[in-house]
Amino acid sequence: MAEAASGSTDKSVQVKLVLLGEAAVGKSSVVLRFVSDEFQANKEPTIGAAFLTQKCRLEDRVLRYEIWDTAGQERFHSLAPMYYRNAQAAVVVYDITKASSLEKAKSWVKELQRQANPNIVIALAGNKLDLVQSSSSSSGTPLSESSEDEADDATATPGETPSSSSGEPESLRQVPREEAQAYATEAGLLFFETSAKTGEGVVEIFTEIAKKIPIEHILAATRGSVGRPGAAGRAGGAQEGAVNLEENANKPKDACNC
Amino acid sequence: MDINAVLSLGAEGEEDSYAGKLYLMAPYLAFSSLDKKSVRFTIPLSTVRRVERLNARAGIYALSLALWHGGKIIVQLTSLRPTADLFCALLRDALKIELQKGRMKSVKGFVKTCYSEVLVSAAAPTPSDEKDEAEGADDASESSYHGGLGLRFRFPGDPKKLREASKIKLWTTYLKSHGRNLTLLRYPQCTRLVQVGLPNRLRGEMWETLSGSLFLRYSNPGLYEQLLEQNTGRTTTSTEDIEKDLHRSLPEYAGYQSEEGINALRRVLQAYSFKNPELGYCQAMNILAAAILIYMSEEQAFWLLEVLCDRLLPGYYAPSMHGTLLDQRVFESLVQRCLPIIHDHFTTVDVQLSVASLPWFLSLYINSMPMIFAFRIVDCFFCMGPKVLFQVGLAILKINGEKLLQIQDDGGFLNLMRDYFASLGDSAHPNSSDPRARAITRFQELLLVSFREFSVITDDLILSERKRFRHEIIHSIETFSKRSAVRNLRSLGRFTKEQAGLVYDALYQAMCEGVEEKPETRIQLRTFQYFLSEIATWARDEKIVSNGFQQRIDRDVAEHEFIDRLFFFWDTSCCGALSFQDLVHGLDGVMFNDLMENIEWFFNLHDKNKDGFLTKDEVLTVSESFLFIFRFEVGDAYLGAVSRFMTNAFEYGDALLADSDQSQENQDQETQNQETQAGVDGEPLPIPSNQPYLNLATFRMVVLADEILESFFETDLSGSFRLDPVAELELQPSASGLLGEFWSTIATDNNKKMFNMFTDEIGKTIGKHQVIHRPSIGRYKNLEEPKARESLLTPGMRHSASKTSLRSSPSSSSLRPSSTASSTTATSQLLTVKVPSPPTGKDREPASAIGYSPMVQAANAALLARPAFTIDDAKDDDDDDTEDDLEIGDNDDQVMDEVDAFLEAHDSGLTDADKAVAKDLINAKPV
Repeated sequence: MAEAASGSTDKSVQVKLVLLGEAAVGKSSVVLRFVSDEFQANKEPTIGAAFLTQKCRLEDRVLRYEIWDTAGQERFHSLAPMYYRNAQAAVVVYDITKASSLEKAKSWVKELQRQANPNIVIALAGNKLDLVQSSSSSSGTPLSESSEDEADDATATPGETPSSSSGEPESLRQVPREEAQAYATEAGLLFFETSAKTGEGVVEIFTEIAKKIPIEHILAATRGSVGRPGAAGRAGGAQEGAVNLEENANKPKDACNC
Repeated sequence: MDINAVLSLGAEGEEDSYAGKLYLMAPYLAFSSLDKKSVRFTIPLSTVRRVERLNARAGIYALSLALWHGGKIIVQLTSLRPTADLFCALLRDALKIELQKGRMKSVKGFVKTCYSEVLVSAAAPTPSDEKDEAEGADDASESSYHGGLGLRFRFPGDPKKLREASKIKLWTTYLKSHGRNLTLLRYPQCTRLVQVGLPNRLRGEMWETLSGSLFLRYSNPGLYEQLLEQNTGRTTTSTEDIEKDLHRSLPEYAGYQSEEGINALRRVLQAYSFKNPELGYCQAMNILAAAILIYMSEEQAFWLLEVLCDRLLPGYYAPSMHGTLLDQRVFESLVQRCLPIIHDHFTTVDVQLSVASLPWFLSLYINSMPMIFAFRIVDCFFCMGPKVLFQVGLAILKINGEKLLQIQDDGGFLNLMRDYFASLGDSAHPNSSDPRARAITRFQELLLVSFREFSVITDDLILSERKRFRHEIIHSIETFSKRSAVRNLRSLGRFTKEQAGLVYDALYQAMCEGVEEKPETRIQLRTFQYFLSEIATWARDEKIVSNGFQQRIDRDVAEHEFIDRLFFFWDTSCCGALSFQDLVHGLDGVMFNDLMENIEWFFNLHDKNKDGFLTKDEVLTVSESFLFIFRFEVGDAYLGAVSRFMTNAFEYGDALLADSDQSQENQDQETQNQETQAGVDGEPLPIPSNQPYLNLATFRMVVLADEILESFFETDLSGSFRLDPVAELELQPSASGLLGEFWSTIATDNNKKMFNMFTDEIGKTIGKHQVIHRPSIGRYKNLEEPKARESLLTPGMRHSASKTSLRSSPSSSSLRPSSTASSTTATSQLLTVKVPSPPTGKDREPASAIGYSPMVQAANAALLARPAFTIDDAKDDDDDDTEDDLEIGDNDDQVMDEVDAFLEAHDSGLTDADKAVAKDLINAKPV
């Protein structure tokens, strides 16, 4: 099936991925790290959503991520459905140094499971790991180095924290890994703790998603839907239904029946 | 007031006249030509230096207005003489007021802040035939004009390529002859000049002038600084959000890589969020503010932002962003209408237009196009209004039509748009043999298509489209937020989703009536009272009012300590506000209870310190709560029950107290210190009023000793909470057919209250006014003898509530009360029986016309009298005259026809000339 697919569509498989999460948890930074492997100020202000693409090589095939990096401000919430519709994957980001951001993340997950594409693969990412890691990274986190996104950190967490972080960095952590992990397992999500700043865990999110995405079905849908190549497989509800069934059979955990 | 007028301008050389309307809206005078295009102006009265009545031919009534800038406007008032006289009188009064306020003097200082003054005075060493002109020019040369960051950090774009010099020259000429800043007269040429792009130095001021924000700045001097000063150091969620975005606003521009620029941006955004806390700050405003700050000072930018957010883009940045959603919907429908093929293709491949167009509108294209082009669009936007956004959007799609038909998904759409915007500076016809065609850039092509091919998109069209979709958008926002609010509840308790939805509806209703803004946030006590009045029968005061004309139910929100108590009882996180979750949780704690649980709930509600005991004061509060809930019950049964409750409670309590008196004393001391008892003060009780007194078991015993209270706790308490939306307030507008119809034809929300008040008054005078409170529980329909009332009224107890009950019971004593459900109809019938006045049979067919003709007469009189009052205030005679005149005005067409004919001939000539000018500009070679 896979080879048939690669025969019909010359190019890589397109996967629509949406990033959601509270403001200033580092969504844009995570994307930037993944797309251009850098950490810096977000040069392009996010109005509604920023759109980026990045290829991701996975064993024998190449995925082309179309990434929609949404605005985090609460009032843009009602626009979000526009971006997560038809998405095959979602990364819900929270800030491990801010407990409330996990609550927001949970509500995003609920919303996705209820409103989005039923096969959507959701990953939960606890960002800003560098802030709680002792000696290795945080001792080398002088304020001067902190660029734009770190300014966000400063606003999100108490102001004095970065300086005092070398002493007892774990105290900055407000969301225990175990708690988030337990929630992710329960809700059937992929789970990662990441640092957009150091790059830790970022690429893993996207490769793990790539592994979990039902590529065959995307391809099948693409090929099946129209004679014209390239027509995206969103045309038929019937096909989606078929995909659904099979998907449920294969990986019952993915199906979001909660 | 407005008046028909013919405007002639005393500009040198050319003598123009335009028919139109002159509006006096103190402190402004405005004129618009009939076609709304040829000439328009709005000038503050304080810039009027002199008004003269011209002695011209007989029958012509003309005024000559000399303006600050030396311009002379001659208006011929073509309405009838009395109207013209009135207009002049009003104008005179308005001018006097301005003079008294000292506004005339402030003009001079203000215009100094405008660059146009510098421009004009520098360009021309003033051929000073007008005194004022010379005066103004001299002072302006001190050059204290406001400017933006661009003056220090350079303006975007190459001034040579932008042909700054020639633009400045053209504008100088225009501003010199047609006034500037406060007194700018807008001719089609003004629009044309704007369409070729404003010169950088003048841009900020022209934005101000064209959008009208100049007048806000003019009339609110110093407000910007005041706002900042008053709020120094204040942090709000808005200011926090602003901080996050400061460095993400046009970061490529040099000004925003410096502290100076960032600080200015911060101040402007913060000042706006302080000015309008409901809106606060929305992402995208940072981009707008950053953009306009390049061209204007902070104060200018602040006022322009105000005009942008409040008037030009209404609702765009509001917490619900309804304006944005609405205009996206409108845009989509316009695409469907104007570019059906593209629209159909988008539908087929399921591409959503807004993924690209949302940021266009939200950031006025600044975020999408290279800045120099975006600012040209912004120029047009301020000059021609919001329709420009739609016109440009449609043109973008039209120009890219071919390619758009190839795209297959959102991503492809966005990429195509991105490429297109990046190429705006390229030639639109690179392969043309004609060098002049090659010189036309894609951007010029875009503007050309926007304004030429989409000139059908008018302001009126947009307004009507907005109206068409408003309901749809509001509805979808409401359901969306409701759905997510219910979904985000941590626990539903024993409610179903639908029930929780009903709770949300009540909450939403309360928020609309209350003070709160956003359904997601927590509500304060006041809104809680509204909320509860939607849910609980005893939390509202329902009065059935009949006054002989109509019956209606007046519904008010009840206020009582009991409700406050409930509020704090449900506020488990002790933050003085309740969330949706708190409300669901709280209702869950009472709506599904059985007898025992309800008693315990009620006990806990009144046990303030949660020690498992009610103090004596709290026992009194319990009885007050009872009395509050039962305040509208008919008869004395409940009163008796409460009284028995009191007697029993104190009997048992005293007995128990004797036992545990000693052992508890120490503990009492502590509680005494900790508590601040909100109970009854000044009570001559032998024991400390806040001593633990009654425990749950005893309380239960006391309650169960009474049949009425038992049944209250068994069913009525839970049953008094009802989630179904409260039915509309109206009773049948009494059965009298004539008045009923009459009523329904005139009924609007606005006049309803008036009408109600009025009929009440009449009802009172004719002795038919009657108010009956609707009972909250309405279980007992028969009156019972007052039992044990003596104990209830022991001295020293204040029962204000009981007084109300007592008061209301005699008035309704002859009524047979009915259950709440049927009370409306039942009482209305009973009322007719009870009405003391002659049996007019108003429930029946109009059997006796004599019977209610006095009422109709009275009502008619009332209605006739009312408008007369309002008009009285506003000099009704004059107003009436105007109306008459307007009608007649239509008739004196002969005069107008002449003018029209003249104008038409004149007009077409003008446009041609202007066309030529515009063409020249487009094709003009760099100087």
